[in-house]
Amino acid sequence: MSDNHSSVSEGQSRHHKVEGPRKHIVAFVLSLVLTLIAFAAVSAGEINTTFTYIILVGMAMMQVFVQLAFWMHMKDRGHAFPIIGISFGVIIVFTMVIMASYWVWW
Amino acid sequence: MSAHQHAEGLLSHEPEKATAEGRNKILGFWLFLGAETVLFGTLFSAFVALRHNVGDGPTASELFELPTVFAATMILLFSSLMSVFAVQAMHRHQVKAMIGWLVATVVLGLGFLGLEIYEFNTYVSEGHKMNTSAFSSSFYTLVGFHGAHVAFGVLWITLLILQILKKGLTVVTAPKIYVSAIYWHFIDVVWVFIFTVVYLMGKVAG
Repeated sequence: MSDNHSSVSEGQSRHHKVEGPRKHIVAFVLSLVLTLIAFAAVSAGEINTTFTYIILVGMAMMQVFVQLAFWMHMKDRGHAFPIIGISFGVIIVFTMVIMASYWVWW
Repeated sequence: MSAHQHAEGLLSHEPEKATAEGRNKILGFWLFLGAETVLFGTLFSAFVALRHNVGDGPTASELFELPTVFAATMILLFSSLMSVFAVQAMHRHQVKAMIGWLVATVVLGLGFLGLEIYEFNTYVSEGHKMNTSAFSSSFYTLVGFHGAHVAFGVLWITLLILQILKKGLTVVTAPKIYVSAIYWHFIDVVWVFIFTVVYLMGKVAG
């Protein structure tokens, strides 16, 4: 049922364009570059520790944003409720991690 | 979102959103991921608080080998990309290509697990056991929990491949593929924080 249909959707777009892989490959390359920067910052070993921490956290935040937006489709329409759901989780996590690092760690 | 006036028996462009049940499944899965975020958050905050309490055991910077961690990171990132391609093939209704990408996702997931087992085995032989220190316990709990999620994902996606082979791509099976892809990306997102907070920051802290 689905196999004979593939030729139709490939031949011409009917009601809407089929999304191409380009932006996902861009997201992949971005993730790759952000990962490489993070590993390089640590491997170099000559950078000030606080500055390295800032680089690492910055790269991680950007990579997570890229992956949530593109690969997990959060930038697509109809994702208002998913954003609310995941945001609650993220708010609780930030509270917990900041408590752990502020009250216990230091 | 998409126009749904297609002929009988034909799938819409986004078959995972063709039925209310499919759309509800996706929303419910996002709420589950919110809870998963909290779960990993507790493990992260425990690790961050306890990471310097090494007792007699090795410290993070003595233990971690960045090349191994980098290889694991690359494997998981590629696996996530394979999963993206699987969903794109699904949107084009190319079932064979979709199964191919899903198999690639699973194989890379297994590669990641193999590397993690090898890594943990090396650590144990270097005297970094579950009960060595607060650092080792919180490390194995956090990273092991992530590994367990990868193992579950490998099993889940394998079963979905078998179901697709049996039942084909329908409005019932499509949401399962979509949701498993979201799960797999989430596992990759958690790994981004693990390699940043556990491995790289552990190496920097010295």
